[in-house]
Amino acid sequence: MANPFNLPMVGRSLRNLVSRPATRRYPSEIREHFAGTRGTIEFDLDTCVFCGLCVRRCPTLALSCSREERFFAIEQLRCIACGACVDACNKDSLHMSVDAPKVHLQTGAAPGAPRPGHQEWHQQPAGSPPGPGDAVGGPAVAAI
Amino acid sequence: MKRTVVPMGPQHPVLPEPLVLDLVLEDEKVVDAIPTIGYIHRGLEALVERIEFGEFGYVVERICGICSFMHGMGYAVAMEKIMAVEVPERASWLRLIWAEMSRIHSHLLWLGLGADAFGFENLFMHCWRTREEVLDIFEKTTGGRIIFSVNKIGGVRRDIADSELAAIVAKLQQLGAGFAETARIFETDPSIRHRLSGVGILSREDAHAVDAVGPMARASGIRLDTRLTGTHFYDRLEFEPMLETAGDCLARVVVRVREISQSIDLIRQAVERMPKAEGAPIDVKVRGNPTGETFERLEQPRGEVIYYIKANGTKNLERFRARTPTFANIPAMIKLVKGCDLADVPNIIMTIDPCISCTER
Amino acid sequence: MDSQAFLDRVGAYHRDGWRLAIINTTSILPTEGMEHGAFDISWSFAQDDGRFEHLRERVLPGEEVPSISAFFGAAFLYENEMRELFGVNVTGIALDLKGQLYKTATIVPFSPSAIRARLDAIGRDSVGKKA
Repeated sequence: MANPFNLPMVGRSLRNLVSRPATRRYPSEIREHFAGTRGTIEFDLDTCVFCGLCVRRCPTLALSCSREERFFAIEQLRCIACGACVDACNKDSLHMSVDAPKVHLQTGAAPGAPRPGHQEWHQQPAGSPPGPGDAVGGPAVAAI
Repeated sequence: MKRTVVPMGPQHPVLPEPLVLDLVLEDEKVVDAIPTIGYIHRGLEALVERIEFGEFGYVVERICGICSFMHGMGYAVAMEKIMAVEVPERASWLRLIWAEMSRIHSHLLWLGLGADAFGFENLFMHCWRTREEVLDIFEKTTGGRIIFSVNKIGGVRRDIADSELAAIVAKLQQLGAGFAETARIFETDPSIRHRLSGVGILSREDAHAVDAVGPMARASGIRLDTRLTGTHFYDRLEFEPMLETAGDCLARVVVRVREISQSIDLIRQAVERMPKAEGAPIDVKVRGNPTGETFERLEQPRGEVIYYIKANGTKNLERFRARTPTFANIPAMIKLVKGCDLADVPNIIMTIDPCISCTER
Repeated sequence: MDSQAFLDRVGAYHRDGWRLAIINTTSILPTEGMEHGAFDISWSFAQDDGRFEHLRERVLPGEEVPSISAFFGAAFLYENEMRELFGVNVTGIALDLKGQLYKTATIVPFSPSAIRARLDAIGRDSVGKKA
């Protein structure tokens, strides 16, 4: 018959009573990310040449670009943070930050409103002045 | 005697993934069990038609969250065999280290779930608390806690510095020493013994007849381990598979507990034997399209996994198949469930370490 | 395929203590001469010392394939899957789940005709494809 006093868990539980908890009090304490943690893809419009290499490498079709229209878009909610686009880009236009994408799903959004997580950039052709309502270098429709 | 049919699943607190077993009961004894799967069938193998072979690795590693790394590694290794690519030595060693850490985290996860299955929630929390430290190592070295995306055809995408490797070995040994007390609880606690000993006995002949793999087979005394074939540098390490002869649920728990310390030792041996980082490449460039077919076998935490890839010279593969160890162990589970008490059914299901996501892809 | 010769070879593997590792099916797309496509089936057996051998057959849709579950009980799972996902006509399975193993929206989603239909719908050769 098993020894009824063989209770190794009792000692463990008593120690747990008097020691620090293993959990973190989120959201008052937030864990620091490590340097290489996968997060969001960030895009720099100034260095991009719209070659489309990153679009072909993306396994989830989260990127799209057009050389004629000088247009680039990322669907953050499709991105799986694999980093294939970052590796593919020859111009260092894409890099991965450690933070998660800040995307909030809105209920009751108006029809025609941009999809949550959709970010797009338009580049003006060199030499023409920016028109009213054109954004140069920044996201035209940012994720809200 | 009147028979009742109790459907178990698809949602059940004990099951990590959905599975239906229609249990036919006479009084409290199970006389038959009819399985139905398909609740998590995503048809991932059909994605070869759309996604090209270079990116298909990302799909493969998302077949399952627990066995994720070894799926990615199996795909990369099989493609390298087809395309006749020689991977740098350091990349293979890094893959071995991540694979063994994967085994540690998977066994810790299973031990926690197994403890939860027989009601010992405190022990569940302790196992997962230990597992958090392993996940932190993964996040520091690969960027992800569960899905790593660190394998590619031709090598690996991230390197680990030598100082970092030494720190990882030290941390794992410290973790192993701390886990020894929990291990002792699994092996000697009277309530666990009462619940698991003598339950679900799979004799050696039966284990062979149902083609069990992994710890299921090793707990019944069969010396079956794909790492013994010596591929991927396992022939440069000294290890002997952990065997038990009792073949009951307790023996399977003991095998997995011991494999955790064995994996920590294998990582220590690997770090000693691998080439230093200075100037060692971690990947090679791969050109062209694959043609040919191959089988590849690895030892996942749950047993032997077999990958079959067929490529026809275009950018899309023609066929990808992953026969995961749980697929091979389900007949063993059905055999064990017949004849047991209803209260033992959750324990027996957990004891094959079911990963239904892997089974159904 | 020659069922009797095939079963004799499977029986030999069973007698010599081999373990069934995997039964894999690949669909071959319809071509001229094979209007309905075909299936390439391979049965793989493993021995504890690392030997790994295969039996391969090319089978046309509708052709009867005998079950090996009389020798290897664990084969029932692979053979039910072959029938439900691919449409291979396997006969005599020991535990026959009669099409209830998987619950898929398309029946036989991996049969040659289903794959051909999907490929035609997406135009397989495009690169940089739009969603």
